[in-house]
Amino acid sequence: MRRFKWVILAAAACVPIAVFVGTSGPATAASSSAAVGGKLVIDNESGSTWTCHFNPFNPAVNLTANGFVYETLEPVDILKSGSSAVTPWLATSSQWSNGFKTLTFTIRQGVKWSDGKPFGAADVVYTFDAMKHDKAIDLNALWKADGGPLTSVSLKGTNQVVLSFSSSSQPYFYYVADMTPIVPQHIWSKLNQSKLDAYNDPSPVGTGPYLVSSCAPQNIKYLNNTHYWQSTPGHPVPAIQEVDYPAFLSNTPANLFLAQGQAQWGGQYIPDVHSFYVAKDPAHRHIWYPPVLNVSLVPNLQNPLLGQLAVRQALAMAINRATVARLGEGGEQQAGNQTGVILPTYHTWYDSSLPAVGYNAAKAEQILKSAGFTKNSSGIFAKGGKPLSFTIKTISGFSDWDASLTIIAQELKAVGISVTVQDETSSPYTTDLQSGHFQLAYAGSGGPAPIAGPSPYYELRGLLFSGNIGSTNYSHFKSSAVDTLFNQYSAASPAQQLQIIHQIEKTMVTQIPFIPVTEGVDWYQYDTSSITGWPTPSDPYAQPSPYVFPDLGVVLTHLRRS
Amino acid sequence: MRYLTRRGGLFLVTLLAALTVNFVIPRVMPGNEATAVLSTFRGVNPAALHALEIEFGVNVHQGLISSYFQYLGNTLTGQFGVDAQGVPVMSEITSKLPWTLGLVGVATVLAFLVGTLVGVLSAWRRGGRIDATLPPALFVLSSVPVFFVGLLLLYVFAVKLNWLPLGSNYSLGATPSFSLSFVGDVLDHALLPGLSLTVVTAGLWVYSMRNNMITTIAEDYVRMGRAKGLSNRRVMFDYAARNAILPNLTGFAMQLGYVLGGAIVIEYLFSYPGLGYLFYTATTDHDLPLMQGLFLFYTVAVLVCVLIADLLTAVLDPRTRDA
Repeated sequence: MRRFKWVILAAAACVPIAVFVGTSGPATAASSSAAVGGKLVIDNESGSTWTCHFNPFNPAVNLTANGFVYETLEPVDILKSGSSAVTPWLATSSQWSNGFKTLTFTIRQGVKWSDGKPFGAADVVYTFDAMKHDKAIDLNALWKADGGPLTSVSLKGTNQVVLSFSSSSQPYFYYVADMTPIVPQHIWSKLNQSKLDAYNDPSPVGTGPYLVSSCAPQNIKYLNNTHYWQSTPGHPVPAIQEVDYPAFLSNTPANLFLAQGQAQWGGQYIPDVHSFYVAKDPAHRHIWYPPVLNVSLVPNLQNPLLGQLAVRQALAMAINRATVARLGEGGEQQAGNQTGVILPTYHTWYDSSLPAVGYNAAKAEQILKSAGFTKNSSGIFAKGGKPLSFTIKTISGFSDWDASLTIIAQELKAVGISVTVQDETSSPYTTDLQSGHFQLAYAGSGGPAPIAGPSPYYELRGLLFSGNIGSTNYSHFKSSAVDTLFNQYSAASPAQQLQIIHQIEKTMVTQIPFIPVTEGVDWYQYDTSSITGWPTPSDPYAQPSPYVFPDLGVVLTHLRRS
Repeated sequence: MRYLTRRGGLFLVTLLAALTVNFVIPRVMPGNEATAVLSTFRGVNPAALHALEIEFGVNVHQGLISSYFQYLGNTLTGQFGVDAQGVPVMSEITSKLPWTLGLVGVATVLAFLVGTLVGVLSAWRRGGRIDATLPPALFVLSSVPVFFVGLLLLYVFAVKLNWLPLGSNYSLGATPSFSLSFVGDVLDHALLPGLSLTVVTAGLWVYSMRNNMITTIAEDYVRMGRAKGLSNRRVMFDYAARNAILPNLTGFAMQLGYVLGGAIVIEYLFSYPGLGYLFYTATTDHDLPLMQGLFLFYTVAVLVCVLIADLLTAVLDPRTRDA
């Protein structure tokens, strides 16, 4: 056995040594009143272990910083409509003037940064100005130099901030007030201003409800900020003392963790969620999946066959959206509609007078025949020797999309259109879609897509505005009439905006630039056995998923022990 | 000596070739870090593409040749840069390395020991009970895909029976230390992935060892050992196995090199944050510095282990030295 000894020694030397890259931020653990307590565990698969960097401007790490530590001026709840959707937060009020070219925020008084220094309007001005010095943090392309309309940000008096835009910019309210985290000038101004995106921010200082107490690659522990601005005597906010945010490398362990009841707040896609999760404790476990962004079949309009309206009409009518939603998405996503307006979320924008372009296989075949297509020997429609045979690109690993596409392929085959599914990993998929290197693509919520905003404008503009070709306008749709409509929206009154959206919906049903199939959702599971105050369908006070910023911060301030 | 210099020279040439391939492949992959971030993270405004390209230095025009030499220079001076999340590549690798070494390293060693031992015993008593059962069983197991065995073990022991944890390398909230409880926790978490790996790779060693043993047992010196009156065990291990193991040993040394690549599938399945999983995320995130750092690490590890295997053979088997 002598020969083996060195092998055993070598093996013994390889016993795992726990080397750790972790930092600890300052933590105020003491709770100010007996009302604060309890622990919340979040279950959201992030795909890698935590780096313990908390830079709010780095999308690769900011989902653990924004909402917990950093906050915004005024969160906008896209699940509500009208003025009730806007919640004063770090700003107490906002006002457009000058034809929607000037936006004035009145900044809340008495707010403190987590290091005790006072928060003020100067911090807001600094945050926006910093984007000029480091373009890499202008993630919403606000400034003129980055292609946006913002020309200046300035302090007015002691507590007001004025943003000036070069043209009417109503839609930019969402990016400015809801999507921009505010950082402390007294810390960030001391850094290298042209490299703010590279700042690791291991001990983040913000105005938010939680402080980072300890961070390890497996788990981040947050403790309540006892000086949080929403707290009043006798009514401390947040009411939950501790939040744990474990890191999951893939969906399976995250789903199992949630199913075993080890977390209360989930943001997971769980196949067969009712038997896997809810059935284990139906009295306390709930799910709610509000639809926010379409998952669509996108044709490349530059393709000579797909550029023909008849072909797109046939595609739209050959797909039974209800079946795809039921079998492909397990009923967890609803069927979409051809207007592109997500229902019921944006029902106030929906034009019900428009003809529905629904499932009608017979009509699909008839349209193709009228356009001069005839079935070839394989049963596929063809014209001039060119058959209706396409590849559909999708993201590998999205099992629900693959399932939906199997059904779509079957339905299209029944009508005489042949499609082959092509899986790609997300990065080359994104490049292919942006460069128009595809025939058909399955795209939308879950993959690279426009973000959902307070109205269908955001998604529709992302997919149809000609300026977005190369970014999110994958179909390469180009219509000066539609472009003009989108441009007019920025300066329009609410009634005019509704008309504009109605006209764009009409373009959707008559020209079929893309085909919404299912309505992508915010994944959300919650357990009321120890914590209450959750957003629900009857009280949709915020987007409920733990990965949506700043809404996750709004939810954190509402939660309390049950 | 000549053997050493020749071998060393071959090592350097292979290393340079590997470095060149490491440079070329990530650069011909479609996509870049900016599109990877856009497609991976929810809630990122697509308008951020330009900002992200600035952050990652995409589209910075630098000639291929000059960036190649810069890459070679950086590699030789140990500057691996910073990954997409701002963490230095070297510290990212060194923090994940112990876990892969522990899990995959120990599993590989155990599989080798088990497989070789079974091979020795079954060859010694050819046709006996051990020979009839263990080698075929291990061989069948080695043809089952490792993720299937892993999934099965996970389902039975972690989900249904709840005896072992679902994944990760230690429990949530446990603080790493050398205390008995933490070490126990780590072993607890490593048991299922380690078992899956061991069970599937053990079979690879069995038949080669067994067949080598059978030919070695027929040799004269083994008969000499028996004639001298030595115990069965002494002859089996010190005379026969010692010579029969040579081919397996070089294979094992090479296998140790592959350990550093991590068992990607097992690490993904059990959410074990090791180098294999890091490979996977670096590739899908199109994280150029991290990919280059990892490929280099892996390549050097395999090359060094192949070199060691060759040297081992030269040391243990004088016949190869003159070649």
